[in-house]
Amino acid sequence: MELSKISAVKKELGTLFRYFLVFCKTWEANGPKYYDSVTLKTLAFQIQLVLQSPITSPAIKFAMAKKLGFAFLVLVAASICEAAVIFNPISEAHRSAALELFSVAAGKFSSLEEAFEALRTFEVLEIETKPDLKDSTCKYVVDTLSSGSSNAKDLYHALRVSSLLKCKISKGDLAGAASRLKDSVKDAKSLLDFYYPVGGLILIKDQTSEVDVLFADGDGIFRSVKALSQSDGRWRYSSNNPESSTFAAGVALETLSGIITLTSSEIDGNLIDTLKNDVVKLFDNIHKYDDGAYYFDDQLLDASGHQGPLSATSSVVRGLTAFSSTSGSLNIPGDKILGLARFFLGIGIPGNGKDLYYQIDALACLENNRVSVPLILSLPACVISVTRQEKLKVRVTTVLGSTAPPLSVKLMQVFSSGSKDASIIKQELKFDPKEAVHTLDALPVGVDIGEYVFAFEIVLSDPEHKKIYATGGRTKVPIYITGVVEVDNAKVEVLESDSIETQKTLDLPGKNDVALSANHLQKLWLSFQLTTPLQNRFKPHQALLKLRHESGVEHMFVVGNSGKQFEITLDFLGLVEKFFYLSGKYDMEVTVGDAAMENSFLQPLGHIELDLPDVPEKATRPPPQAVDPYSRYGPKPEITHIFRPQEKRPPQELSYAFLGLVFVPLLGFFFGLLRLGVNMKNFPTSTVPATFAILFHGGIAAVLVLYALFWLKLDLFTTLKTLGFVGMFLMFVGHRTLSHLASTSSKVKSS
Amino acid sequence: MAKFSIATVFIASISLLLALSNSFSLENPTDRRILVLVDDLALKSSHSIFFSSLQTRGFELDFKLSDDPKIALQRYGQYLYDGLILFSPTIERFGGSLDVAAILDFVDSGKDLIVAADASASDLIRNIAAECGVDFDEDSSAVVIDHGSYAVSGTEGDHTLIAADDFIQSDVLLGTTKIEAPVLFKGIGHSLNPANSLVLKVLSASPSAYSANPKSKLSSPPSLSGSSISLVSVVQARNNARVLFSGSLDLFSNKFFKSPVQKAGSSNKYAKSGNQQFVTELSKWVFHERGHLKAVNVRHHRVGETDEPAIYRINDDLEYLVEIYEWSGSSWEPYVANDVQIQFYMMSPYVLKTMSTDKKGLYHTSFKVPDVYGVFQFKVEYQRLGYTSLSLAKQIPVRPFRHNEYERFIPTAFPYYGASFSTMAAFFIFSFVYLYSK
Repeated sequence: MELSKISAVKKELGTLFRYFLVFCKTWEANGPKYYDSVTLKTLAFQIQLVLQSPITSPAIKFAMAKKLGFAFLVLVAASICEAAVIFNPISEAHRSAALELFSVAAGKFSSLEEAFEALRTFEVLEIETKPDLKDSTCKYVVDTLSSGSSNAKDLYHALRVSSLLKCKISKGDLAGAASRLKDSVKDAKSLLDFYYPVGGLILIKDQTSEVDVLFADGDGIFRSVKALSQSDGRWRYSSNNPESSTFAAGVALETLSGIITLTSSEIDGNLIDTLKNDVVKLFDNIHKYDDGAYYFDDQLLDASGHQGPLSATSSVVRGLTAFSSTSGSLNIPGDKILGLARFFLGIGIPGNGKDLYYQIDALACLENNRVSVPLILSLPACVISVTRQEKLKVRVTTVLGSTAPPLSVKLMQVFSSGSKDASIIKQELKFDPKEAVHTLDALPVGVDIGEYVFAFEIVLSDPEHKKIYATGGRTKVPIYITGVVEVDNAKVEVLESDSIETQKTLDLPGKNDVALSANHLQKLWLSFQLTTPLQNRFKPHQALLKLRHESGVEHMFVVGNSGKQFEITLDFLGLVEKFFYLSGKYDMEVTVGDAAMENSFLQPLGHIELDLPDVPEKATRPPPQAVDPYSRYGPKPEITHIFRPQEKRPPQELSYAFLGLVFVPLLGFFFGLLRLGVNMKNFPTSTVPATFAILFHGGIAAVLVLYALFWLKLDLFTTLKTLGFVGMFLMFVGHRTLSHLASTSSKVKSS
Repeated sequence: MAKFSIATVFIASISLLLALSNSFSLENPTDRRILVLVDDLALKSSHSIFFSSLQTRGFELDFKLSDDPKIALQRYGQYLYDGLILFSPTIERFGGSLDVAAILDFVDSGKDLIVAADASASDLIRNIAAECGVDFDEDSSAVVIDHGSYAVSGTEGDHTLIAADDFIQSDVLLGTTKIEAPVLFKGIGHSLNPANSLVLKVLSASPSAYSANPKSKLSSPPSLSGSSISLVSVVQARNNARVLFSGSLDLFSNKFFKSPVQKAGSSNKYAKSGNQQFVTELSKWVFHERGHLKAVNVRHHRVGETDEPAIYRINDDLEYLVEIYEWSGSSWEPYVANDVQIQFYMMSPYVLKTMSTDKKGLYHTSFKVPDVYGVFQFKVEYQRLGYTSLSLAKQIPVRPFRHNEYERFIPTAFPYYGASFSTMAAFFIFSFVYLYSK
């Protein structure tokens, strides 16, 4: 019996423990957002089960409950952490953005719709409209109203603009417009056919009481509009279009509240009650962001062809405000209204005029609505410096930034982001009526520098106001408390088998230039201590030691926290492979930084000369280093061709001198001939042989001249050809001359 | 009826021609039609300053949700867009036929791309970046944190909003006006592949930055740290397609454009961050409104002549001229630089000379043809940071001297000439003496 009980307990315990483990894992993977209230409830229920289960041993009971209870606490903390976002009310930035986005070119609006959007935004933001713009727009309005061709939509926009600008419109024009609008209601089919005339008639009613704008058959019109509503609270644009839209719901609400105002008789109370139900149903479809903002989404294109949550939400807010002002209170929770306000404020400053109008108009509606007016808690600064003794300031305003009713702000809880536990305090903030800010005089005890989430609660002084204003319970804001962290006992050592080889103290943050040297059998040890202003130990997010080799290869190490101090030991024996066996100079650099640390630093420490073993064959090569882009693209060095040097030649003078010398033998030859006494006595005397002799020598001269010409300009072929002719001629005349000379000499011999 | 259909076809073809002539071309390299893919159409409003600056510069923006099933980059083999802006960091799968390969084909055909990621960047976006040599931090929860040069702000305390001012030094990328104020950045960092020479770091993080999850304790060294973290990078492909990668989508947002900035540790407060100037100038570059060069009228001739010869002789003096223009977004302006170089090239450059310019786009130089004969090339390989690359090559043969082009009368040889002629003269005289002397 006892045995089976114990095994059952073990089994149950095992299941619960597994559940807890799964929870822990999912927690790690997905963070706090994964868990919603359902998980929380399940867990709470399980704790209860464990405590009630018929397990005998109270010790086991207690242990299980403790484990689950811890999980419960963590989840509670997490569910609170998720919504830590600050929303700021409308500010000066919106005004300058409005002026920029609605800057009117050529002093005139392009359409009355655009004119209304601009003027409405200006009105809410309290920006003056220029008089000349006013005049030109009013003229446009009057033209539209008096023109017979304008339809209900034009008339509606014209009346809207004139209600803002207070244009002077003749009673006749108003009466004409009213009758035309009334006519168009009669044969209206779609939602927008109702919307424009009803809106227009309301505006006429506001401007003058002398024109009859009331419907005789208000109830009937009301019913025909109501016929377009859907079961989920959304509306259709027309009866033959089955698709429903959230934007249309806002339009319908606005139209119906207009019809209620314009009806002379009473509308059926049941109808209004079903309508109120529809509104509540509509709010069941609301979407939620993580930061607590609520919005409506719309799949359909809205009337102006502008799609998106902003226009849909804005339309619903407008409709809701109009409806609540005519038909009294609506049962809508204040946090949803606050969520809607947060949605519009969370957008920031939209980038186009239409979106800005949607945002500002919706916020203006929320500011004055009858359901509940949202109050926004904002912080001028959520980074608080303890060294500069800054104080935490909180401002509570309405969405448009006007002052809130008398109230007090309490700091309820402080969550530390590191430890997930919440300390519960109730500290009221001091109100400064002059600046309308609530100031926290002193930080709660135990709040050191770091990241926190503060939970504030707004308490309205007048209990009556609780029905009018939505404060949204606790508002969580992230707070960063920063300060100067002191660095002590910074040391760097080179160790060899646990005996200190070299030790250098460092000045952090400050200038250091240590020069160390180590081989692969030694170790490098670096340590320092960090203390917060409250003398607690501080654990920064970033504590890194970087070693950079001359070649640019970098190695980074996380400086670990050993409880008392930050230290790191680099055992080079185990790191040689990681260092790619690169010996040489390594620059050391230590970085300590944290969001809460005002004196985060990046400090070069000096260098260490490492003597590592030689690179083995199979070692991995260091990764390639990035090339400086500037050097990659610069112009290349110029290249000029080196020409072959000119052949070496003697100076010209020498050539001329030798030319002269070459002629010396010729002169010697002449001189010798003169000395020998040469004569021409043998020259034939008779005419014929003399002629042949002259021709013969002329021929020789011609051959020599031919040679000279060949040298100067003639080519080989011409030369040989000419030489052939001249040679034949020379043979002939030479033969005659020589035979004549031979015969003369044989005559002389014989005689 | 037939007449009517002919007229329709005619009008259709004319309008098609007009549409084509309005798009990217060699003569008009600025992009015209840009597809913008967003996760949420609200981005159109929150980033409207950036988009309207593009629209006022004449771009046609086509906004689509990134999961729109009708997305198509091309139809009938023709691209419908000249540029693509991916402002959809979270998208896991594009709608329509678009995927990584289609985007890479788009870039391979010379079109331009802007990709912005943020802390929620999907694998798809990371893959596109990795294909271009940009590696976003693999840790999907990591963002760039900088405790040294964060932007001082009353509401952002975790130092992930960074005031970065380490810009690339390049007028063509960032305009001639210096960006005074730091650029606000909030997002993820990336590293560049060192082997990729086409990708450039435009905005780097400061040396104290690191990429990690700010919410969890740092147990191992961050994979990216220091100034090797690139915040914004650009790629210029070999076909002159340009790609911009930013680790922050907020960088382009109206909020960052307008917010005042003060860098930690500096007393300078700027009323407006440098984001708008930075993004506008960079988008001008990406969409080819700047830094796009063309070379025209390449010609060369012997000094003193005007006609281009078919062949040069060694040791000729020649003149080379080329005109280079830069596209300014609307017209071709003369490009002025002092580092355009010409190479006279056969296997390796024989002559490499910087050309002089007349500041009106004309570059010229003259040099002597080397005394080596063969088939040479005139080569202009102009690759400068941020500019499209110019690669001109023109082949030209070079011949040696002809036999009759050498020097005719060499003074050194005069004694030999003299000897010959004196012998000839002596022979002539001797013929008389020998025959007729008694």
